[in-house]
Amino acid sequence: MSAISEFSCESCGSLVQVEAHLRTAACPYCASPAVIERPLEAGRPAPLFVLGFVVPHERALAEARRWIRRRWFVPEALRKAKVESIRGIYVPSYLFSAAADASYTAQIGENYTETYTTTNSKGQTVTRTRTRTEWRSLSGRYAAYVSDIVVTASRGISNHELEGVEPFDLRALHRYTPRLLSGWIAEEASLPAEQCRELAVSESMTEIQRRVAAHLPGDKQRNLQVQAHLNDIEQELLLVPVYVLPVRYGDDEVVRILVNGQTAKVHSKLPRSWTKITVIIILVVILAAIGGYLATRS
Amino acid sequence: MQPAASPAALDPCNRCSSPVEHGDLRCAVCGLTTPVVESRTSAEKIEFLRCDGCGAAVSYDVKAQAPKCSFCDSVMHVESPEDPAEEAGAYLPFQIDSQAATEGMRAWLGTLGFFRPKDLQTSATVGELKPLWWVGWVFDAEVLVSWAADSEVGSRRSRWAPHAGQQHVHFQRILVPASRGLSLDECTAISGGYQLATQGPPPQPQPGTLIERFDVQRSAARKAIADTLTRAATAQAKDWVPGSRMRKLKVAVLPKRLSSDRLGFPAYVLAYRYHGKLYRAVVNGQDASLVVGNAPYSIGRIAAVIGLIAAIIAIILLLSTR
Repeated sequence: MSAISEFSCESCGSLVQVEAHLRTAACPYCASPAVIERPLEAGRPAPLFVLGFVVPHERALAEARRWIRRRWFVPEALRKAKVESIRGIYVPSYLFSAAADASYTAQIGENYTETYTTTNSKGQTVTRTRTRTEWRSLSGRYAAYVSDIVVTASRGISNHELEGVEPFDLRALHRYTPRLLSGWIAEEASLPAEQCRELAVSESMTEIQRRVAAHLPGDKQRNLQVQAHLNDIEQELLLVPVYVLPVRYGDDEVVRILVNGQTAKVHSKLPRSWTKITVIIILVVILAAIGGYLATRS
Repeated sequence: MQPAASPAALDPCNRCSSPVEHGDLRCAVCGLTTPVVESRTSAEKIEFLRCDGCGAAVSYDVKAQAPKCSFCDSVMHVESPEDPAEEAGAYLPFQIDSQAATEGMRAWLGTLGFFRPKDLQTSATVGELKPLWWVGWVFDAEVLVSWAADSEVGSRRSRWAPHAGQQHVHFQRILVPASRGLSLDECTAISGGYQLATQGPPPQPQPGTLIERFDVQRSAARKAIADTLTRAATAQAKDWVPGSRMRKLKVAVLPKRLSSDRLGFPAYVLAYRYHGKLYRAVVNGQDASLVVGNAPYSIGRIAAVIGLIAAIIAIILLLSTR
């Protein structure tokens, strides 16, 4: 696989270069959009589905600005930084589904009320009731389909970041066609499929654990152990719409904000301003001390 | 525009064996991708997307949510999951006439019990009688049901003990009403007597006969069927929980071979008057013994029973004090 592809623009004849990790390009002279269809290679699967952008650039930018201004504990330079640059990218991800067959064991807490006698503050013997929990063992099986698991296939955007802007509305799924990418940046899958599968299996196991916990009877539960097998596994490459906004602040520091191109949900891992946090803690301590002083005086 | 999908039947889903319909990109039951014709390139290919109409460059447009020509505003088609409005595929015929329906309704009025007026059956005057076809889905599914619940069996200090299990169930011909004109309770009450094997083509529209249409789309229909499947599994699971008392029953379903038909069901809607007040009854169009509706109560009879109970209580109290 060559690092860079070259082709002549159909409109103006200029030579256009496309990096190997991208699927789309635009002629730098006449802005004609093009989509590159590469032959299948190991480690570079073809996308099967696309979720189109629904949120316009302007709204994504406005949502990102609003979101960052509401983050009180980030450095002030970052809160006031200009958020101007925005790029809509079709990020490669895998859409994963399977049939889950799980067995589980858990301790189920069943509440009951008991009466007891005690001595009150006046030294009198009184009868009272209290709720106690009786713990019982339960084991069982749980079977269900796990679908709609989306994990990143991009080295550029981590799965944690993608989870931050999920969920995507999969009802709006389109069968892949280059037409949907034209004029936008689209990345090729860059993570190995096996690595993505491990991520998806891990997410599925978390989902099954959550579902089994909600499935259990009783008033309380503890020591839940779930052993799940995933059968009929399928993962297909899906391009999801994400806006990426690099924000520069302070001494040339950069943070990256992601905006879901369907729902405008914003996510970023922002640095904290320890100065602000320290000031708040000191204020709280001073207020608590004043409150304590007034309480003891009264 | 791309050519319309072939009407030929599609292969069922490879994972859950449920039928796949034209326009589905994924199986609606288990989420498996529907098969796609492979058209992979063997060499690198650059595609410049041009408008079919004017030849200008085409880009994906956020507002149109489709590829759009920047010059002439033409919007290009892309393959998406289809979500057409549901239509009844077959209708069951009427097997009783309006006179039999009226007689069925009168017979029903006589079965409503002591608290109804004595002359209800004879004094009710039938007003309007309207034949209609109401619509609904009928589904079959093989389901692996996982259940968990508390019951009194095995309880110690607490009144409850946890239980869990897993069973295979074959749901057959489960009806999911989708009628706008009839309530869910009315449809459910008369649904037992329909002979599903008698289904035929759509009836010819006739004056005075109402032929209902589904007013939901395919996605909403599938949700209604999935909800009914879970309710049916929950109702079935009540039989599996040991003991006579239970709480916190939860079920999870793994359906296979979930298939459904969209049908029209015949019924008569009758309006009748009793002492000037209007009431309504619905009669199954194939079995006149299946009737549901509302009917008046006899205030005199209810008062007499209350008076009798009060008198008995008074006598008991009197005797106990003496």
